[in-house]
Formats: sequence, structure tokens, C-alpha cells
Amino acid sequence: MSEIIIQVNNVNKTYRGSYTPALRNFSIEVREGEIFGLLGPNGAGKSTLLNILSGLLTFDTGNISICGRNMPQQLNEIKPLIGVVPQEIALYPTLTAVENLKIFGGIYGIISKELKQRMDNLLNYFGLEQSKNRQIKTYSGGMKRRINLIAGLLHQPKVLFLDEPTVSVDVQSKTLILDNLKEINAQGTTIIYTSHFMEEAEMLCSRVAFMDEGKLLCKDTPQNLIQNTNCPNLESLYLKLTGKTLRD
Amino acid sequence: MKKLISLLYKDYLLLIRDVAGLCLMFLMPIALVFLMTFLQNDIIGKVNEAEISVIMLNLDNDILGNSIEKHISESESFVLTKSKNSENELRIAVARGNYMIGIVVPENASDSIRLNAKRAVQKGFKGEKYESKDSVTIHILIDPTLKTSFRNTLMSTMKEYSAKTERDFLLQELLAALNQSFPFMLGTIQLDGNQVNFDVQYALKDENAAVPNATQHNVPAWTLFAIFFISLSLSVGLINERKDGSFKRLLALPCTYFQYLLSKSILFLFVCLLQFALLFALGIYLFPHLGLPKLLLGDNAWLLLPMCICSSLAAIGFGIFIGKITTDHQQAAVLAALSVVIFAAIGGIWIPVFTMPEIMKIISKISPLNWGLNGFYNILIRNGTLMDILPECAYSLGFAVVCMGIALGYNRRRKI
Ligand SMILES: Nc1ncnc2c1ncn2[C@@H]1O[C@H](COP(=O)(O)OP(=O)(O)OP(=O)(O)O)[C@@H](O)[C@H]1O
Ligand SMILES: [Mg+2]
Repeated sequence: MSEIIIQVNNVNKTYRGSYTPALRNFSIEVREGEIFGLLGPNGAGKSTLLNILSGLLTFDTGNISICGRNMPQQLNEIKPLIGVVPQEIALYPTLTAVENLKIFGGIYGIISKELKQRMDNLLNYFGLEQSKNRQIKTYSGGMKRRINLIAGLLHQPKVLFLDEPTVSVDVQSKTLILDNLKEINAQGTTIIYTSHFMEEAEMLCSRVAFMDEGKLLCKDTPQNLIQNTNCPNLESLYLKLTGKTLRD
Repeated sequence: MKKLISLLYKDYLLLIRDVAGLCLMFLMPIALVFLMTFLQNDIIGKVNEAEISVIMLNLDNDILGNSIEKHISESESFVLTKSKNSENELRIAVARGNYMIGIVVPENASDSIRLNAKRAVQKGFKGEKYESKDSVTIHILIDPTLKTSFRNTLMSTMKEYSAKTERDFLLQELLAALNQSFPFMLGTIQLDGNQVNFDVQYALKDENAAVPNATQHNVPAWTLFAIFFISLSLSVGLINERKDGSFKRLLALPCTYFQYLLSKSILFLFVCLLQFALLFALGIYLFPHLGLPKLLLGDNAWLLLPMCICSSLAAIGFGIFIGKITTDHQQAAVLAALSVVIFAAIGGIWIPVFTMPEIMKIISKISPLNWGLNGFYNILIRNGTLMDILPECAYSLGFAVVCMGIALGYNRRRKI
């Protein structure tokens, strides 16, 4: 079995000014080469966990290590190894796609020639070659999602954090994105990913974890979970686990 | 280094895509410096030019009336018109605003003084005290809009000449009386009137320094205003990056908050220097063609650079501070604009500090724009040296450090 690349132990997080914790004694471990799915209703704490893992948020108690380095002490060593694709579009709207990518690539320290090569490949792959010199604010929702993803892949990270990468995109874009994720995973990138699409997770993930209200409910391969709970698929397991009440 | 260059490239692109912000940075101060210099130059011009019109009815036609008339017509501050009409018509002319001042010297005014002097001398020789009678009243009519300072100038001129006339008559009568009782004739006794001379100069450190005028005040003043106004674009820019999520991505990248601020500071420092160069160039090269005084830099013009850099850093620190403590554009824009306008007002940008009441002079010391303006005055008007601007530079740098320190500290406590 491959090595553990991400270790999260008993992590607690309560936002300042909030009474209910966003994460409660949360523990998971992810192995190298996995596509790990974090599933749960709105407000479950998925984004909170990914933000903590990307070093954007501090946590209160617990231990986290990524690629053998401890958070938050060795954050500066961790940052070049991880790629982050936030839930919202995190790009400069008044800059063009090429300008955005040049800037982010430059901050990773990728040399210009190499950067240009990678940019061309990715823009081509995601069908943005034609519109690469347009300001991001003129892009459609699906195009924004694709360029948001490219910005996280430029430096070829060892670990990739994706927060709902397929939300509000059409079937074509979604297929393209998922195909690409499988491809880079095959090339050795470990992926942690959140989604509200159970079918997509069932097809893509090597393992999934269900969470609600900051707590881990269960984790295993999709096949094992379905078998052990006698549910026809992940979606019915999800409803069984989390109920039908609406969340904030 | 590659990181910093990438960050600078990003900040540069964000800046040039923000057309409204660029206008605010460059067009607004140009408009202001022209407007304010023209306005103030006009006011200052009025004081120097012979603009105050005086109409005088000299019914006396003797020494007192004539010497006042002569002096006023020779004075640079007044334009004299001699009236031949009645006192009442003169009053109407002033009331209509045709003249700012009307003066009526009554008939036989000199004679009355002369008579009084004669009586006083005669009584004096008898060892008696004389109480003057038949005193003379000169009527002065003033337009209500006339400034007190002009009224005072006029009054002191009038008083000076009537006192001189009185003294001259007294001396004449005294001499006449003495000649009657003395065995031999005395000649006239007179000083030529130039025993005490006045030498008025601006208190400058040396001769080459510029004379304060509308240009020497307004160019540095509005340059500083422009420099501090960048805190608006800077703080709104910081908020925008936080709002559009790009700041979040930057934090996830191998780049520290300090590097992020450093890039912003370098770029905006460059903007400030550009504003400074532009406005000073206007003062030097364009103003003289428009009939405005030319901007003179004094002997130590190179000191302008360190002073400008220190003020710019204070402005950048302030912008970063505002961008950090506020949570949305409107808040940041309103807070930055309002505080810069208030700092400018109390700092002596609109009206010079020396015209303010005592309490405001003390309050003006808390404005970073006041430190900058004082520093510029020290260089441009007082021809000061490096030592003279060190305190102002130190205050400005201290202010910058405190502002950025608060922003950095605040960031440590609260990510994203
Ligand atoms: N900045 C914040 N301040 C206070 N509370 C927050 C903040 N961000 C999130 N929360 C709260 O933390 C909890 C977890 O939120 P989080 O965004 O991690 O959920 P999520 O699982 O990503 O939900 P979604 O599927 O809607 O994206 C929620 O109760 C949310 O209200
Ligand atoms: Mg989320």
C-alpha cells in the first residue's frame, strides 16, 4: 500500500465570533495517488477543511501533516507542493487569462519558457486557446471554472485540493474537467476534492468521506460503503446518513 | 526576485486597467493645482495692485488737505479721484460702490489748526495752560465690504499726516513767537523727515530663497494632497483583491503577505514620484506661460526627493492600513477620502497654517500632510538643509511604519 501523504488528526476549528465549531475532532488520512472525495451537505465543513489544508485558515487544536511536513510550522515548504482550486473563482477579473497565469506561474518560480509551454498545453486542453487574451470578467461561468482549475495545475503539484470544481458547468466542461483530473492523477498527483454530485464522486474517487456539521460520519471506498450499508448507490447512502432537513 | 517581479507585474496591470483610479491620481491634482493657484494669485495680486479707489473732497485746499491728497495719490495701494461735488453726493457715490473710500476734509481745516497752534504758543509764553477749541473733523466714508486691513492702512496714513500738520504749525508759531522776543532772527528749524528709515524684508535663510507666493504654496500643497489621495485607490485595490478571491489564491501560493505589500508599496511609490514630477514640472515650465509665478526650487532642490519619498511612504502606509481595517469598497473609499480631506484641511493644504487660530496650529501638527508641507516649505521657501527636513522625514516614516505594522499584525491574527 502506498504512503500516507496527508494526515489530519483530531482537528478542531471554530470561526471567530461563531459558537458552533466548523470542524469537530476531525481525522482522516489520504494516501499517495488517491482521489479522495469529501462529501456532505452545505455547511458541513468541507471548504473549511480544504482551506486549513491549503494554509489559508488557522486551526485551533489537532495535528496536520502534508508530505511529511507539519502544519503550520512548515507551511512555507508545503506551499510549493500543493495546488489549490478554491470554491469561488480566485483570479483577477480585469486581467486576461494569460496575464493571470503568468503571474501565478511566476510566483511559483517556474521559468518563463517552461511556463509558456505548460500554459499553452493547458489552455489548449481546456479549450481556452482562442480566448486566452480576453479579460476574465468577460468569460462565461464554465470558462471561469476551467481557467480557475488551470491556475491550480500550472506548477504540477504533488497534492491538489479542489473545492467543488464542477459546480455550475455544463456537461461538456464537466466531462473535460473530470477527464483531466483522472489524467493528472494517473501521472501521480494526489487529489482531494469536494462535491455535491454523488454519482460523479462514485465514479471518480478511490475513497470518500462523509461529513456533516464538522464531524466525520464514515469513510471508505465507494464500493465498500455501498455494499456494507445495503444502499443502491452513494446518493441514497448520503440521504440515509444526513437526513432530509435543510442546512444553513 | 522572480516572485516580486511577478507581483509587481500584477499590480502594474491592475493599476493601468483602473482608468477611474488613474484619473483620480493624475487629472484631479492637476486641476486642483491650477484652480487654487489662479484663485489665490488673484487675491494676492489685488493687494499689491492699486485697486482701492478713493474719492476725496478737499474743501480745505490748504496744507492739511493738500498733504493728505498728495500722499494718497502717491501711494501704491490707492487710486485717488478728486471730487468737486458736495459731501452728500460723495456719500452716495461710495454707497453705490463706485468708490471704496470717501474722504471729506472740511473748509478751513488747516486754518483752525493753525489758529489753535497760535493760541497755544501765546498762552504757553504767558505760562498758562491752553485748552484747544474748534477742533477739526475729517469725514471718512467706507464701503462695508472693505477689508479691515485697508481701513487701518488708510487711518494710519490720515493720522500720520494730521499729526505732522499739527506739529509743523506748532513749530512755526513757536519760531514766530521766539523771533519776536529774541535779539536776533532764528532761521527755520526742520529735520528733513528721514531720520528713521525702515528696511522691510522676508525672513529667509539666504538671499536666493524664493519669496512665498501662490505657486510656492500650492504646488507642494496639492502634490501632497495627490500623494495622499492614492490611499483611496490603494485601499480599494486591497479590498477588491480580497473580494474577488485572488488574494486567497496568493496566500495559498509561496508568497508572504509582506512580499505582497512590498510590491504594492514599490508600485505606488513610483506613482507618487510620478505625481510629484508632473506637478512640479507644471509649476516650473507651464505656470510662467499662464501669467502665474514660476515655481522656484531653492538651492537644495535634491532634498525634495527624500522628502517626497518619506511622505509617499506615509501615504502608502495609510492606504494599506485603511484597506486592512475596512471590509468593503464603500467603507474604504469613504474613510480614505474623508480622512485625507480632513488631514489636508487641518494640515494647511487649503489655507496656510499661519492664518489659523492658535488651537488649530497645534492640531495641524497631527496631520501627516502638515509634516510633508512643512518639509517642502523648508526646502522651497526657507532654503533649508537636510538637517531642517529630518524631523518631518522622521515623523512621516514613523507614521508609515506604524500603519504597516498594524496591517501586518492584524493579518497575523486573521487569515483571509
Ligand atoms: N468566515 C466564516 N466565519 C464564520 N463562520 C463561517 C465562516 N465560513 C464558514 N463558516 C461556517 O462554518 C461552517 C462550515 O462552512 P463551510 O464553508 O466549510 O461548509 P461547506 O461544507 O464548504 O459548505 P458548502 O457545501 O455550502 O460549500 C458553516 O456553518 C459556516 O456557516
Ligand atoms: Mg464549501
